[in-house]
Amino acid sequence: MGMNEIIGIIFATVICWLNFVIVDTYFGLPEQPGVKGARIIGESIKKRNGDIAGGFFQGNILCSPDASAGTLMASIGYLLLGIPGGILAAFLVFIGNRLCADPGYAGTTGALTATILIFIFSFIGLTPEMFIVGMVIAILTIQGIDQVRASIILGKIADKFNRHAKE
Amino acid sequence: MFELVHITINSAAQANVFGLANITISYFDIILAYLVAIIVSILIALILRVPLLPGKPMRYSFDVSAVYPTPIIAIGIFSLFLVLNYTFMYNGLVLAVIIGVCSGLFVKYLFNYIFPSPIEGDDGDE
Repeated sequence: MGMNEIIGIIFATVICWLNFVIVDTYFGLPEQPGVKGARIIGESIKKRNGDIAGGFFQGNILCSPDASAGTLMASIGYLLLGIPGGILAAFLVFIGNRLCADPGYAGTTGALTATILIFIFSFIGLTPEMFIVGMVIAILTIQGIDQVRASIILGKIADKFNRHAKE
Repeated sequence: MFELVHITINSAAQANVFGLANITISYFDIILAYLVAIIVSILIALILRVPLLPGKPMRYSFDVSAVYPTPIIAIGIFSLFLVLNYTFMYNGLVLAVIIGVCSGLFVKYLFNYIFPSPIEGDDGDE
């Protein structure tokens, strides 16, 4: 049944990575820190020769549920309850956002686009489990392996979307 | 690798714990009911004079508006009823209308009380 699990996870990682980076960048995560903690993380990454916009991006991801949390929650919701589960995840991410001093555009949009993507790619054999694993790997590449290098890549993407921090 | 997950989820689904595959109305009816919930919630919000779009700058605005978050709340709550297979009359249409009206009222009268915007200069930056 379905596709080879390892190949599926690699596909899902790429899809999740693109989904959350594009949605987050579009909704301005690299532009400014939402809370003080995000600013501290951004400035610490800049001090280590990173990019300030990428640093704000990483800080904002850490401090409130954004499209990366939305993608993960939507994958879990989809696994448990199908498409209504993904929509329910978007609603829950929205509530989480409002509790974290975040207007929540990135999180809810990311959860809804992830639900649509999981539905579309289910036709070629990608399962929601692969998206859960893929999202964990995708967030690891941003926050876990090399924050400074990741911030430079995120800064370049922010430039392309005209969302680079003004400072 | 996913064997344990599948066994756990499938046995839970068979026991109807998660309400998986529990929905008895057709796909067409589900899509229709979602659309009705979205449209009714936006209309009710507009009738109650909630602005159509959030204030500028739009990406950082905490204002409630008719297009966000009203339909998100409506379809979120409707999903909850759907997965519990409580669709009420006319294949969920009546429920969709009720939830649409309630989320419009919620956004207008209760939202800012339950989820107040962060205080400027306190914890927020800029």
